[in-house]
Amino acid sequence: MSKEKNTEAQKSEVLQGTLDLMVLKVLDALGPQHGYGIARRIEQVSEQVLQLNEGTVYTSLLRLQQRKWIASEWGASENNRKAKYYSITKSGRKQLALETENWERIAGVIGRLLKLEGQG
Amino acid sequence: MIHHLRALAARLRGLFGDRKANQELDDEIEAHLHSLAERYVRQGMTEGEAAWAARRQFGNITLLKEANREMRGIRLIDTLSQDLRFGARILVKSPGFSFVAILTLALGIGANTAIFSVVNGTLIKPLPYEESERLVFVAEQAASGGQAPVSYPNFTDWRAQNRVFERVGVFNSGGYTLTAGGEAELVVAGQVTADLFAALRVNAAIGRVFTNEDDRPGAAPVVMLSHDLWRRVFGGDPQVVGQRILLDGYGYTVIGVAPRGFSVPSGAAIWVSAGLMVAHRPDWQQRGNYPQFYGIARLKPGVTLEQARADLDNIAVNLEKQYPDTNKGRRVRIIPLLENYVGDTRAALRILMGAVSFVLLIACANAASLTLARSTVRASEMAIRAALGASAGRIVRQLLTESVLFALLGGGLGLAIAQWGVKLILAIAPEGAIPRAAEIRLDSRVLLFAAAVSAITGVLFGLLPALQASRPDRQGALKETTRGATGHKRLLRSGLLVAEIALTLVLLVGAGLLIRSFWQLRQVATGFDHNHLLTFNIALSPGKYPELERQIRFYQQVSERLASLPGVQSVGLSSRLPLRAGGWQARFLIDRQSAPALSQWPVMDASVVDVNYFKTMKIPLIGGRGFDERDDRSHLTQEVTKGMNALQKFVAGLRVIIIDEEFARRHFPNGDAIGKRIRINGEDPKDPVVTVVGIVGRVKMEEPSRKSNRAQGYFPFLQFPLGPTFIVRTQTSPEALMAAVRRQVAEVDPSQPIHNVRSLEQIRSESIARERFILALVGSFAAIALALAMVGIYGMTSYLVTQRTREIGVRMTLGAQAGDVLRMVIWRGMRLTGAGVTWGLAAAFALTRVLRNLLFEVSATDPVTFALIALLLFGVALIASYIPARRATKVDPLQALRHE
Repeated sequence: MSKEKNTEAQKSEVLQGTLDLMVLKVLDALGPQHGYGIARRIEQVSEQVLQLNEGTVYTSLLRLQQRKWIASEWGASENNRKAKYYSITKSGRKQLALETENWERIAGVIGRLLKLEGQG
Repeated sequence: MIHHLRALAARLRGLFGDRKANQELDDEIEAHLHSLAERYVRQGMTEGEAAWAARRQFGNITLLKEANREMRGIRLIDTLSQDLRFGARILVKSPGFSFVAILTLALGIGANTAIFSVVNGTLIKPLPYEESERLVFVAEQAASGGQAPVSYPNFTDWRAQNRVFERVGVFNSGGYTLTAGGEAELVVAGQVTADLFAALRVNAAIGRVFTNEDDRPGAAPVVMLSHDLWRRVFGGDPQVVGQRILLDGYGYTVIGVAPRGFSVPSGAAIWVSAGLMVAHRPDWQQRGNYPQFYGIARLKPGVTLEQARADLDNIAVNLEKQYPDTNKGRRVRIIPLLENYVGDTRAALRILMGAVSFVLLIACANAASLTLARSTVRASEMAIRAALGASAGRIVRQLLTESVLFALLGGGLGLAIAQWGVKLILAIAPEGAIPRAAEIRLDSRVLLFAAAVSAITGVLFGLLPALQASRPDRQGALKETTRGATGHKRLLRSGLLVAEIALTLVLLVGAGLLIRSFWQLRQVATGFDHNHLLTFNIALSPGKYPELERQIRFYQQVSERLASLPGVQSVGLSSRLPLRAGGWQARFLIDRQSAPALSQWPVMDASVVDVNYFKTMKIPLIGGRGFDERDDRSHLTQEVTKGMNALQKFVAGLRVIIIDEEFARRHFPNGDAIGKRIRINGEDPKDPVVTVVGIVGRVKMEEPSRKSNRAQGYFPFLQFPLGPTFIVRTQTSPEALMAAVRRQVAEVDPSQPIHNVRSLEQIRSESIARERFILALVGSFAAIALALAMVGIYGMTSYLVTQRTREIGVRMTLGAQAGDVLRMVIWRGMRLTGAGVTWGLAAAFALTRVLRNLLFEVSATDPVTFALIALLLFGVALIASYIPARRATKVDPLQALRHE
């Protein structure tokens, strides 16, 4: 019990905007995925650092769909279950490029800032 | 309420496939949880543990669903319903404010909608005929450029030679004595060519309309009935076609019933064929004779008005060459048919529309200033909203939702007011003042107008206060809750009040000018005593009374019987009643003057009167003598009348004339009129020459608003028995004698209908009815405006007093007397009024010229009216600000100081 609490405390909350960015990136890198697949991939890449309420993936998917950055389609999953597959659209790729650049710029700034403070 | 809306939204979603979206999301979640649980089982958990862990990993499912649903577009409905709910709560919470605001808007919107209904029904709506935009009105154009009736032979030439009309027909109207079983009655008949119905594309409701066969000379006489007459006289009998009726004693066969509401020419109760009658009317066959025919044509598809005018003018030019005597300078006038009906009304309607839009603006200013006052009270609410994160846009949206809600409620109430107002307008409108009155109703276009005006009004009066509230001085407002009004806001409110007063002043000045004009009209001297006079006509059927002598005897018999009635002082006859345009205008020439062309002869208003006329009307005899029994036709011996046709013989009876003082002054300036000889009406050597035997006072022959200095002449009835109007001078109220008069006429001959029974006072009142009508409308708009302005000034001053309670308290503590406080508060109201009045006077000075054509002997910038109205407004403002000012003096200084 206590061990569990400890792990949770070490995980960071996922910011809303960044989740959208992550979902887009996953779809861009892996091609069409269902919601479970996306959650697994994020979990895998984050190496257990991020704490993700997996339900929020679906909120993100709906949001992205409304902006027409992703499209969806019903198909069969690996274990032959009916599943909805999401894929990135052309405007989604454009948005991804834009957001990535944006992210890198901000990350760069914050990184430098933190370093400076660390030195100070 | 919100739950209902949500439920409704959910149901709507269900309808539009949202239920499917929810189901899909459920499926996805289910699958996701299942996959997670499978993984945990593989990692060694029991099934129960795995399911629980999966749920934990997934997060709150209900929250997720809520969030997703909100994202699918429910949010907008939610905020709108929130705003509406809040607006409704505000409305209920301050009923006084709501009541005044909604009523104000309802008055403005209602009055505008009512007037728009009239404008819509008359000017905007197309005429109720198929492709009515191709219909034109056709008349002749006199050499002077004025519109003139059509000569029948000209019409037949136009019809034969034009290349632009699909069909063209002419019509005029005549009176007929109709006998269809019961009592005889006089009806107005349209005498029309068959093409008229074809041009309008009007079909019969029952039976058929005229065809070209019916128009041919020698065809069987047939008649069409109006829908009204058919219901009234024939009880709506569907078998009416084929029945025979008597018109002026001649038999006609009914061929059809016109559709309900069809009335060309106006007032027609029956229609007969003009083409058929031409053969019996030598006067109609004469080119250069104008028996009041006018034409209606349908342009061929694609033909423009200009092409039609060019084509017909071309024909007219040829006719002029062919018949220079009669057609010199005569052209054809073609205007859209709608224009012919509404042309005269357009200017007046435009003025009314302008006046009523002022009322709406005033209402808007009032509502805006009320809302501003409230927004001051709500300043802390707005500040809290803003502090909690509401964006400016969100606050503006909320306040606008509120004001539009108010405006729509006002609009709903306004529609009720409009419906009532339209009824009232149509009820008080004199005949002919509103063309196409039957077509005026609250139709979809009017409803749309009302809705649009309400919405625009809502935004208009809400926007200023909303923008104001969206950028409040947050800290200031939170700190001083009772003195939240910034100088800026106060300025805005003052500006609104000044604008309101200025607009009101313009309307009041307009109404004031019309009142003065109307008063002047009432003062116009009629030249006779119009009290206690009863008038009526008898339509004598020429079939039953063919000879002049029998006609004269009939009229004399009736006159004698009426004169012997108790309560009757005297009975006169006249061919024309005063105070109404129309009648007989005769050309004349003082004998032994060198004779110019006939068109250069002077014109007089000619009447034919009997021996008792001047006595009955109390028109003073100024010189010479009145008519007596010897002024008759006994001079017309066989020898004299030998070789004369009927018309010449009729005219030849004239021997004497009585002229009015203006006639005498102008044409006999030496005062020697009596005994002079005057030639009447024409170049025919057989035209009569008459001797002046008397001079009488001048009478107002036309409506008081028309100024005319035309000479007036009277001929004796016994020499020239034109069908007269009876005029009975009674000792008491003329109305009381109506029944007795009818009985006496019936005793002489029950088959001759009596009609147009009215008192002269009634005729006098009708002669200024149009002016009274416009005055009533503009006057009521001005009254509404004044009431609104009063509310505005009152509201402003009360608000001021509330705002300055503390200051007043301080002043009183420091020794200010009640009088000082009173002066201070009233002074503020008066200063604003003064500004409003100044602006208003300037605006009125610029604007009242549009009234010029409606004013009678009053200048559009009449200084007396301007001054009186300005004083009136100051008076009203004084009263409106006195009441709250009194309250200010009752302020308890201690209370006021603790006010904070």
